[in-house]
Amino acid sequence: MITQVIKRDGRIVDFDGGKILAAIEKSMEAAGHPAPQGAAAVAEAVTRRLNETYQDTPPKIEEIQDIVEQELMRMGFDEVAKQYILYRANRTRIREANTSLMKTIDEITKVDARQSDVKRDNANIDGNTAMGSMLQIGTAGAKAYNEAYLLTPEQAKAYREGDIHIHDFDFYSLTTTCTQIDIINLFDGGFSTGHGFLREPQSIQSYAALAAIAIQSNQNDQHGGQSIPNFDYGMALGVAKTFRKAYANKLTEGVEDFLDTEDEKQSIDKILAEAREKTGFTARLEKGAKEFDAAVAEGLCEQYKIPQEKAERLVSVARRRAVKKADRDTYQAMEGFVHNLNTMHSRAGAQTPFSSINYGTDTSPEGRMAIKNILLATDAGLGHGETCIFPIHVFKVKEGVNYNEGDPNYDLFKLSCKVSAKRLFPNYIFLDAPFNLQYYKPGHPETEVATMGCRTRVMGNVYDPNREISYGRGNLSFTSINLPRLAIESNHDEKAFYQKLDKMLDLVANQLLDRFEIQASKRVYNFPFLMGQGVWLDSDKLGPNDEVREVLKHGTLSIGFIGLAETLTALYGHHHGESEEMQKKGLEIVGYMRDYCDRKSKEMKMNFTLLATPAEGLSGRFIRMDKKRYGIIPGVTDRDYYTNSFHVPVWYNISAFDKIRKEAPYHALTNAGHISYVELDGDTSNNVDAFESVVRCMHDAGIGYGSINHPVDRDPVCGYVGVIGDVCPRCGRRDGEAISPEKLAQLRKQYPDIPTFRGIE
Amino acid sequence: MSAMQKQSTVGKDVSFERIRRITGYLVGTMDKWNDAKKAEEHDRVKHGLSCGCR
Repeated sequence: MITQVIKRDGRIVDFDGGKILAAIEKSMEAAGHPAPQGAAAVAEAVTRRLNETYQDTPPKIEEIQDIVEQELMRMGFDEVAKQYILYRANRTRIREANTSLMKTIDEITKVDARQSDVKRDNANIDGNTAMGSMLQIGTAGAKAYNEAYLLTPEQAKAYREGDIHIHDFDFYSLTTTCTQIDIINLFDGGFSTGHGFLREPQSIQSYAALAAIAIQSNQNDQHGGQSIPNFDYGMALGVAKTFRKAYANKLTEGVEDFLDTEDEKQSIDKILAEAREKTGFTARLEKGAKEFDAAVAEGLCEQYKIPQEKAERLVSVARRRAVKKADRDTYQAMEGFVHNLNTMHSRAGAQTPFSSINYGTDTSPEGRMAIKNILLATDAGLGHGETCIFPIHVFKVKEGVNYNEGDPNYDLFKLSCKVSAKRLFPNYIFLDAPFNLQYYKPGHPETEVATMGCRTRVMGNVYDPNREISYGRGNLSFTSINLPRLAIESNHDEKAFYQKLDKMLDLVANQLLDRFEIQASKRVYNFPFLMGQGVWLDSDKLGPNDEVREVLKHGTLSIGFIGLAETLTALYGHHHGESEEMQKKGLEIVGYMRDYCDRKSKEMKMNFTLLATPAEGLSGRFIRMDKKRYGIIPGVTDRDYYTNSFHVPVWYNISAFDKIRKEAPYHALTNAGHISYVELDGDTSNNVDAFESVVRCMHDAGIGYGSINHPVDRDPVCGYVGVIGDVCPRCGRRDGEAISPEKLAQLRKQYPDIPTFRGIE
Repeated sequence: MSAMQKQSTVGKDVSFERIRRITGYLVGTMDKWNDAKKAEEHDRVKHGLSCGCR
């Protein structure tokens, strides 16, 4: 008679026959048997056999379960036995998830990030710090839970085995990806961060500070990066307020100096108010400046009985000084903004917010002042001249606005090239590309395509075709397909490949919808900033307890892909960089996926879009698994990463022009976002013309979004910024070498911008 | 400590910063990149401006 059993962890506990009975009953229910019928008989038979077999030592749990299976089948309960086996397998899966979770946490806790790929999954999180590790432990726990409980077995298998990658899987049950924050709407009347209410800003400094806070606050409600689509238009309002104040102050000072009085403020304010009433303008950089200034001069004449000429002189001096002051304040505000975004913390302090700002098309003098100064502040770099990592700058290129000589913002486009050739930002988004131009309505900046983070693009809107805008919308979630694996498994059979692709597209679309179901059942109070402050489109129409389902449909569900080059090589023997024939095949595959997304969008009245996947964590994950499965296949699995989306492989020799020409047509197909890179050699800041020629080439070829990579190195000891080979061209030291304080002092005489070096920075 | 060593005291073990773009974002040093991305960066070839571009 057995009295004890051995649990999986080795502990010995009292035997409880009731547990066996309960498990059998559950399996019978699952198999559709009227509950207890026969269950007791099976349980008895099991106990009997246990007593016979385990007279001396207690049985292990697994051994008991084996006997239950055998007895069920022996007694003719085949269907029930099947259910019981499934139940066991599922328990095992969950248990293994727990064990592997503990192993992962062990690695996060103990191993140096430099030795642990897990801890470098996201390059923006420092896995060696306390808060970074805490975030990674949370991630590991959430992933284990989500896989065990939220995915269907089919989805879990596809995810686990690397057929697909569910991005930001740790946030599966929690939130959505990203939003284009319309700061004009947000600032209007002030807003609350959830930790306090902020009044509507009244100067460019506060506009810039609040823009950073908006990015930070929203980042805590979502898992992706945050973007401002209308940075120039938004900041322009702050510049205007700063200028108006400066104009009044400078005029007051001038009049006081001239009259040798004090406290003319009230009179001047009255004169300005009257001028405003008379002309319908306020003090602006250009708009109505002539009329307004004339009316103010007239007011001065009347008030102070001074000659008209003198009054006009006082006004023009005040204006000149106010322009200077506004310009200086704007520069400082932009400098502060950039510093802020590179140092402020979010998400439990483990990250700086992923931030992007889009600008370039506001042609108002105030907007231009903002654009010029954000570029100049970026050019100057951080405190020690470091290149700013954040925000991503996206310069919107548009013919008639800034692309050609004579366009009102052409000078700013030129400046952007100079800055990017030194600092890697801005990137360029091309509003003239046909697939972007179709949305563009002059005078409506919300119809200008903008980019979030690495590439996310949200524009078309099948849910609400009247709202094909970038503001207040974003991606909900995305999942990527391991395209090369489908190709490998198709064994050069094109038809088989497309069949597999069909199946995979269906699987991903359904998984995105399952995830949407979880996201959609959240309430406004789950997103205190994003929804509570009306950042997301139409969320201002909801109450705090309302479900967010309907408004979320403005967002996109995106299907991504990686490794088109390897896919083509696996299927046909070479990739699209190598022949026009393969280019055609590549466009067919990507076009096929786009058609699927369009069909699905129409069917569901939701925005399914095709993404050229940014592949940070993913590029190694898929290929590692595929190497194990299929071994080394030349041109397919013979490297440590799959090629980014539709890119021509980074190792393939091709001219900048040809690369751009090859990749441009894919931009038209990937409506959820895309980016093309060109790698330039040497210090491009010495050859801005060459840099600009690549940008122009992208524009003319129909690229949607692109950026140019070039080496930017810095020696923290002597402050040199540029290309550093083995030896720093300024101070002559090698990596890790020390130099003498005397030499540094000597260099400082030559280069006054050398930072005071304070050891580890 | 030799005179030579005494002189060289600034910047020992301080590495050059090499800023690169990784999936759209800039990263200050490559220390924090994952292995696959390090391999990708290593393989990148430069693109010449020889033909076509205006």
